[in-house]
Amino acid sequence: MPVLSRRQLAAYAADQLLASQQVSAIAKELAAVLVNSRRANQAELLAQDIAWELERRGAAANATVTAAHDLSEQLRKQISAFVKKSAKVERVIINQNIDDSVIGGVRIDTAAHSWDKTLSRKLTDIREVL
Amino acid sequence: MILSMNNLAEAQSSGISSLGINLKSFVFQLITFLIVLAILRRWVFPKLVATLEERRKTLEESLNQARLTEETLQKAEAKAGEILQAARAQADAALAEAHTKAEEIIAKGETAASERGARIIAEAEERLGQERQRLHSELRGELAELVAATTEKVLRQKLDEREDRALIERSLKELG
Repeated sequence: MPVLSRRQLAAYAADQLLASQQVSAIAKELAAVLVNSRRANQAELLAQDIAWELERRGAAANATVTAAHDLSEQLRKQISAFVKKSAKVERVIINQNIDDSVIGGVRIDTAAHSWDKTLSRKLTDIREVL
Repeated sequence: MILSMNNLAEAQSSGISSLGINLKSFVFQLITFLIVLAILRRWVFPKLVATLEERRKTLEESLNQARLTEETLQKAEAKAGEILQAARAQADAALAEAHTKAEEIIAKGETAASERGARIIAEAEERLGQERQRLHSELRGELAELVAATTEKVLRQKLDEREDRALIERSLKELG
């Protein structure tokens, strides 16, 4: 039996998710394939590939938002709208990450895109320019 | 004969004796002289002449030899003079050539030293320039680090949650 690549598995999972199949059932299938092909340690990478595939198809984007302070609901909505528009996806899932090292501003990372408007980034740019 | 001679002598003595000469004695001495002369001419003079001739020849040969030697000596002196002159000319030429070569070597040495000096100066200037550039870069980097660190410190002190939200909103507008 030929071994399916991680990209093929991600495409299959995206197909199943978009076909409204049970997430737990898809997860079990994928876990079985990974264990069977002795790639259980690639589960995290497969999840990222699935997110990338879903974003590529314009279905959904899993956005990790990093900021120094907690985001207000209004900001979340603004960020969600921005990601929908920029990544051309129908749905956005926001995961907030508070990191004091960014000083200020915000960094948005999805599976396929990244936007960095933090002050730490600007300071790094200044250091590089000077 | 002796008697006749005695008679002759007696006869003549009367005439010669008048001159105070004894004729007998004179004749005897004459005969003796002739005998001696004959002996000398027969055995002594030829040897003496031969010896003298031989000595004359030897002397003449010696003189010729001396003349030849003198001529040879003169020729040798002339040749030696020519050789000496040629040697002097060669020595002068060699000396002049040595002077010329020495001047050339000195000139080349001066040129090489000058070029080497210029090269050393150029290399030193290049190294100095590189060092200056390195120090400038280091200083610039340190200054940038100082500016960034100071800015970060000020921002951390001044940027509160409200201002951070306003900053995020502006950023989103810029991105949009």
